[in-house]
Amino acid sequence: MKRKFNFVNISILAVLLVFAYSWYYVVEVDGVSFSELFSEKNLEHSRKFIDGLMGIGEELPAFRDPESIKNVASLTYETLMMSILSIAIASVGMLMTVVYGARNISDGTLLKQRHWYAKPLFFAIRLLYIVTRAVPELIWAMIVVFIFKPGIIPGAIALAVHNFGIVGKLCSEVIENIEKGPVKSLYSSGASNSQMLIYGVFPMVLPKFMTYIVYRWEVIIRSTLVVGFIGAGGLGRQFKLSMSYFNYSEITLIMAAYLLLVFMADMLSRLFRNLSS
Amino acid sequence: MKKLYLTIGIAFAVILSILSVDNSSGIMHSGGVVMLKSIALSFLSPEISVEILKTALDATLTTVVYAFAGMSISIVLGLVFGVISSEAIFQSKLRPVSKLFRAILGFMRAIHELIWAWFFVASIGLSPLSGVFALAIPYGGTLGRIYSDMLDDVPKAPVSNLNSGGGSRLQVLFYGYLPSASSSMISYTMYRLECAIRSSAILSFVGLGGIGYQIQMALHDLNFSRAWTYVFVLVLVVTALDAWSNSIRKRLI
Repeated sequence: MKRKFNFVNISILAVLLVFAYSWYYVVEVDGVSFSELFSEKNLEHSRKFIDGLMGIGEELPAFRDPESIKNVASLTYETLMMSILSIAIASVGMLMTVVYGARNISDGTLLKQRHWYAKPLFFAIRLLYIVTRAVPELIWAMIVVFIFKPGIIPGAIALAVHNFGIVGKLCSEVIENIEKGPVKSLYSSGASNSQMLIYGVFPMVLPKFMTYIVYRWEVIIRSTLVVGFIGAGGLGRQFKLSMSYFNYSEITLIMAAYLLLVFMADMLSRLFRNLSS
Repeated sequence: MKKLYLTIGIAFAVILSILSVDNSSGIMHSGGVVMLKSIALSFLSPEISVEILKTALDATLTTVVYAFAGMSISIVLGLVFGVISSEAIFQSKLRPVSKLFRAILGFMRAIHELIWAWFFVASIGLSPLSGVFALAIPYGGTLGRIYSDMLDDVPKAPVSNLNSGGGSRLQVLFYGYLPSASSSMISYTMYRLECAIRSSAILSFVGLGGIGYQIQMALHDLNFSRAWTYVFVLVLVVTALDAWSNSIRKRLI
């Protein structure tokens, strides 16, 4: 008990020290001065920016221009499609790898036999999950953009790669924490390996898989705008353009559409939870 | 029956998304396959030299520093907003206050950190603080929401004992709610720290330094082996933090 507390306490202390060092670094090494933050110039910038967002001084701010609204609406639809495509790719990839990504299947404790390739396959899949998960979607987007043409595809694939690692980890842990009873009873009634998997393991884990998939889809919706900057698809493309042209009233319109999308995803996932429970 | 509808709905959405891809002129660049090959090959042969590793370490330090500085603000924001939007202090009559703060947290969370960063750069210029604040807001939103849920999940018996013993609201908070929720709060915060490193790495997009910036530069030069080296360093750092927060979580639960 005492040792437990020590490790945690030392960790907390370490984190606090890093906090302190970080601020020291930001202030001393980077030479940030807080007084400059609220300088005349910055206040002027902020005021201009906010005025621009509100469309002050424009004849026809974008959020009152039917043309712009139509354009943003179609981009919003594109963005939604990008998110669905990416979670679909991530889920299919996860389902293809998750069986051997679970420790208890690859070492043969859950099903009856194990193949010679199970262990190396398990390590390879786990490593793949770690690498894909640790690299943010945006960096994947930068790499993917070399291969695919601009549009929703690069964004969808970048999001899919990152989220594949996340759902892969979560879902393989679901299989690892499974109740052994039902699977074992199938075993004793003489089911084959694949039968045990299809009739024993999958029915138990699929609902949990779905929960994780829907949760990640919600997170993906939030990131679509950002990968769109690079992959040049959906709302992100327009956001970047408007930002570079200082077309701030368009930004307001895009942000409104984006927030609508986020809250809609929130509602859909709640609906899904109610339906599936 | 409900499950069937759900399945049909999901299948329909996926098919629709596949159909919405513009396939008129192929989805890959003309040299896409060649590119893919060279990217994959350089994955196996990352560039490793003393100079590169030094740059990587420097950049990593910058990334970690911004992540932690941002998180330190998020924790304060999360605690204050989380307590206000939980039932620990504002009860029955004052529920609307909590609801309002919950909505504010939702708004902070809904906007991605990079977009916050863009806004800060547009208003206060390209200073490291833009990045730090940009991380702090959405992370504060997430932490606040989770903290308030954790405070609401605190077992009611010990808390109501304190209440009937005549403790003030603040005393009940500090001696009842917070100690009971602290272990789950700490382990969640550690998990978010790991996410913050990842988010901090992508702040290079608005022009801030760090490991993301190095990856970006290497990709600009089409120097994939160098880019992979930096990516692997990032993977190592994130995985190390992940392992640390996992071992803390194991001890707390």
